[in-house]
Amino acid sequence: MDKLIIAGREFSSRLLVGTGKFSSSFVMAQAIEASGAEIVTVALRRVDITNENDDMLAAIDRKKYLLLPNTSGARTADEAVRLARLARAATGINWVKLEVTPDPYYLLPDPVETLKAAELLVKEDFVVLPYINADPILSKRLQDVGTATVMPLGSPIGSNRGLKTRAAIEIIIEQANVPVIVDAGLGLPSHAAEAMEIGADAVLVNTAIATAADPVKMAESFKLAVQAGRTAFLAGAAGETKHASASSPLTGFLRDQ
Amino acid sequence: MGVLKINGKEKPFADDKMPATIADLLSTLGVDSATVVAELDGKIIERDKFGKTPICSGQSIELVRFVPGG
Repeated sequence: MDKLIIAGREFSSRLLVGTGKFSSSFVMAQAIEASGAEIVTVALRRVDITNENDDMLAAIDRKKYLLLPNTSGARTADEAVRLARLARAATGINWVKLEVTPDPYYLLPDPVETLKAAELLVKEDFVVLPYINADPILSKRLQDVGTATVMPLGSPIGSNRGLKTRAAIEIIIEQANVPVIVDAGLGLPSHAAEAMEIGADAVLVNTAIATAADPVKMAESFKLAVQAGRTAFLAGAAGETKHASASSPLTGFLRDQ
Repeated sequence: MGVLKINGKEKPFADDKMPATIADLLSTLGVDSATVVAELDGKIIERDKFGKTPICSGQSIELVRFVPGG
């Protein structure tokens, strides 16, 4: 498969995975391995000082995977910038998945605060991957301020409802000059394949893998779906017609005229 | 007696148990410093400065680390 390039860095996999909601760190590590992902997202939270064993991410090999910290929990640009700075201090890497989600019910991203935070973080030399609603104008505004990607949602986080925003994502892809990573709501491998078939550069999946009955198998199936979808996009889809178009010859039938 | 505000909660320390640096505090709390980021009164403290950063009563400290997330 052709390489995915984000901010000058090459990746062989076009599937990014989240680390949330797994039943154990062992299952999480196995699923990440099976997904073939090279970029894995993590969140930043207060240390539980009453629990010495709350470091669930020790199972992730940080030499093998690029940890992509998110700013989940931020409700404003200022909160997101603070989390991004802390994450950079923790990893020494300046990549951040920017999320500003003030409404806990739908977890839809705030476009105004996201743009504001993106501008500030780009000025501080962060590689910013913003999570956004599927808004083509916002996507352009973000790439204009220098974000490394745009990450439009397919449907609300964790909803597994698929590519409900397809028409808007098609416009975003058409206009983008940075990679478009479809994030959130992809519940099945077929959803991921659909996003890749329409030309998304990558997808990010968490809930659909982590909460499957067998997360490791599901991770593998998403890997295959992303590869299939990308290959199909590169192959160029045949057009649709309203009427039938015979696949077999229309001559030489075994009947007299 | 001294008091530190740790992750939003006030924690009292007897005078002879008051940690002198962030590194001392983490070891008192049993937290592995390799995976933690600290903010002292709103300012990020780099990990290699934990042992050199003095803390005193009344200060506010945030200790954060990566957790699973999407």
